Amino acid sequence: MDPQLFFWIAARATGLASYIALCLSILSGVALRTSVLDFLAKNRQLRSLHDFMTWLWIPLGAAHIVTLVLDKTAQITLRDAFLPFQVGYAPLQIGLGTISLDIFVVVTLTSWLRRRMADRLWRWIHRSSYIAFLTLFLHAFWSGTDFDAPLISAVSWSAALGIGLLAISRMVFGRLPE
Amino acid sequence: MPSWALKLSAVFITLFTLAGSFGYASAHVKNANAPLQPPVADRPAATSAPATATPVATIGPLLTLRPGQKTPTVTPGPKLTLAPGVKSATLAPLTFTHTS
Repeated sequence: MDPQLFFWIAARATGLASYIALCLSILSGVALRTSVLDFLAKNRQLRSLHDFMTWLWIPLGAAHIVTLVLDKTAQITLRDAFLPFQVGYAPLQIGLGTISLDIFVVVTLTSWLRRRMADRLWRWIHRSSYIAFLTLFLHAFWSGTDFDAPLISAVSWSAALGIGLLAISRMVFGRLPE
Repeated sequence: MPSWALKLSAVFITLFTLAGSFGYASAHVKNANAPLQPPVADRPAATSAPATATPVATIGPLLTLRPGQKTPTVTPGPKLTLAPGVKSATLAPLTFTHTS
């Protein structure tokens, strides 16, 4: 397989896989406070899963960026991965993904430094994950090459709607009754 | 459900998605309906020229204006860059004999 073709296909595959990994990460995080997954496991196991998911989405997200940088057709530089709205042909669509990555990086770093931070500050930074997920979804919706495929679209929309419903119920009801 | 089973399930779902989307993208390399269509990068014309065809360093006027004819607005074409070691010949400059 031509290397450029491989980079292009790998970029699309790792993009979707990192999206799913992030969905699982957020879902397990929201479940800690909403008890919606209590039928599946207790909070201790869910917390362990939430922490573990970081080690799935980080390499996949990194692979998504690296393959896009290596792919000549995409015309994305390493700077575009961290500075939003710099790409010439689709600054908004790609910039949303950049914003999402930036926020997720901050959320992850502050989680590792949680013991050295004020709890209130950490919580507010951690809540910005919802904004990061929203921008990630819009990035996938507006720039995802395969987003119009029925199965991929169904999976992406289902994951987003599920997380959206849980986030709203978390804000409105707090911890859901068992 | 134990913690390891949750993690194993998450790994399975993620890898299944990765493999599935890789297979889908391999089968559908190009999507005409994709929301983003990056512009095709300019390719240097000199690289595809055969070794016997010697490019010239400059080209003559592209068109001749008739009296009263307005100067057309044209976008500049790709610039020809000669690699080191390529010699220019004493051939007549390339010209276009028609306008559109």
